[in-house]
Amino acid sequence: MAGKPVRPVNAIDQTRRMLSLVTYLKERPGARVEDVARAFGISEDELVSDLDVLPMCGTSFRGGDLLDIDTDGERIWWHNPAALAAEAAEPLRLAADEATALLVAARAVSTLPGLRESDRQALLRATAKVETAAGEAAGASSRLSVTFESEGGVFADVDRAIAERRRLWIRYYSPARDEVTEREIDPIRLVSVGHTYVEAWCRRSEARRTFRLDRVAEIRILDEPSAPPEIELRDLSEALVQPAAEDPEVVVEVGPGGRWVAEYYPHDSADELPDGGLRITLRTPDPASLRRLALRLGRDGRIVSPPELADSARQAAREALSAYDGIEAERTARVAEAGARGPQTLHAVPDGPGDGPG
Amino acid sequence: MAIAKAERLMNLALCLLGTRRPLSKRELRDSIEAYVEAFGPGNGASGSDDSFNRMFERDKDDLRELGLVIETVESLDGEIGYMARRDSNRLPPITLDAEEAAALGLAAKVWQQARLAGAASGALQKLRAAGLPEDVDPYGSHGALEPRIPVHEAAFEPLMLACRDRRPVAFDYRKATAAHPEQRHVEPWALECWRGHWYLAGWDRDRGAERVFRLSRITGKVRSRGGRYTADVPDVVTVRETVASWAGEIADRSARIRLRAGAGYPLRAKATSVRELGDGWDELEIPYGHGLDAWLVEFGPDVVVLEPAELRADVVDRLRAVAKG
Repeated sequence: MAGKPVRPVNAIDQTRRMLSLVTYLKERPGARVEDVARAFGISEDELVSDLDVLPMCGTSFRGGDLLDIDTDGERIWWHNPAALAAEAAEPLRLAADEATALLVAARAVSTLPGLRESDRQALLRATAKVETAAGEAAGASSRLSVTFESEGGVFADVDRAIAERRRLWIRYYSPARDEVTEREIDPIRLVSVGHTYVEAWCRRSEARRTFRLDRVAEIRILDEPSAPPEIELRDLSEALVQPAAEDPEVVVEVGPGGRWVAEYYPHDSADELPDGGLRITLRTPDPASLRRLALRLGRDGRIVSPPELADSARQAAREALSAYDGIEAERTARVAEAGARGPQTLHAVPDGPGDGPG
Repeated sequence: MAIAKAERLMNLALCLLGTRRPLSKRELRDSIEAYVEAFGPGNGASGSDDSFNRMFERDKDDLRELGLVIETVESLDGEIGYMARRDSNRLPPITLDAEEAAALGLAAKVWQQARLAGAASGALQKLRAAGLPEDVDPYGSHGALEPRIPVHEAAFEPLMLACRDRRPVAFDYRKATAAHPEQRHVEPWALECWRGHWYLAGWDRDRGAERVFRLSRITGKVRSRGGRYTADVPDVVTVRETVASWAGEIADRSARIRLRAGAGYPLRAKATSVRELGDGWDELEIPYGHGLDAWLVEFGPDVVVLEPAELRADVVDRLRAVAKG
């Protein structure tokens, strides 16, 4: 996959940053490039490009009082700090979007169930202070909210195992196979994107795996040290589960009621059908795992290929239906025994036309 | 080469912040090199005045976006002047300790949406300029936790701005089961992210009622509509409860099912009672809310619904549709 494009320079973000930068630099003669870049959360290159612009700026071009700021690449020097009146160099109040972005994120993080209590308290104190300092600008932040979800106890154990570099034993539910398996994992990091996941090295499959915390049925911290191999961490802006190009292809046709499939499953294509449905092509390492989907869709869709998958869903449905014959009989017998009439609401299970093997 | 926009905005901001008296548009035009270079000095009645005026208005809007409060003052001789007063632009004193700073540092990183990510780091930079302590090791006190707020929906940014500015909008919306989108006119109240998806709550003008919309089902552009809100905005907007009831999380009844031993862990996790039948099957009592039938069908022959009859009929119906396939 190609590298990410270089982040375009956004004039508003850069102006915002330079305004804070002059305030910051005014009080720190000879500040180190490295330190300033870290304090501002930007790369040294970004900082140097700001430092290229600042000498062109001042309170009045005609007056000749441009900011005389330069750098030798290591330290930053401001030779005429008086060029900027105290008025223009004070910390600026937060804009509505800035207050919203910071406060909404802080409130969301403070609801993470596994957050350490001392960190949560620090965050709540900071949030209250920022709200006060933001004043009116904080108002709009109530129009945006985010809830992270995770299983509190599991989260705390994973967090502790990562901090103490210890291996975990888990019983994990895999919906694709409807089974719970035991495995030992070396946790690497916790990720919250809607649901909370632990990215780990799975000792059973000898591969990197991502486990959703709400599917962990049981968890234990082991005494063995965790020793995940050095692996490159993935970019979190990508979907967590990416099908591979060599995975087998599955084609599903859905009616209007099954369009949600395109929202939930990463897919290669989704073509509109004349009835308002979609023909969706997706890839999965394990097509059998999509039997659940075929069953769930009911009359809202069907698997077009591979045919074995379509067959296995049909087979499963027939087998499931046969159990209701039994219940019907049981019930009728019971009801007859009690001397009452059979239930009216039950549908008999017919053999559909053309339903037989063939 | 034209002078970069950031340099022009920076100069305008510094002029407005540094002045002790309102500056006229002409003074600003003459003081800022980028304007002089693009439009010439402001003394001629040249045709470039209109384009200068447009750029000047846009620049002021951009600075307001950054939080700058720019006052417009009319002098005695009727000339309009501009300034950014110290009182209205200064961040009130705020003191944060190292722990609080580290916690905010973590929070500022969670947005995966360019505008909000930029705004959050901007906020942090302003606080940094005001003396926010620097974290020694940004991850040190937070272990390996990396929360992220995903924003994949194109409708997010225009709706966020509409909620902020209380602006009515129109958009095409395709309901979950509808083949074609339908135009909706909405007074947006609030956006909420739940389980990784964004939802909008607001007043649906066509239906004359409160509605919740899932952003991924908005097709095409969100268009702004003029005018004011016609319905009162409630103090507390609860998106999550509405969505939870769609998701079948609010169950008002219960169902009895048979489940093959060892299968269906999530059903067991939700069960209020589990009884072993001893013949390779267990009997479970589970909450019965919206969507339970579709979920049970996923387990195929491992689940048999006992009651209520209505649920059993729904499940049998669905199974038949698949069996006919």
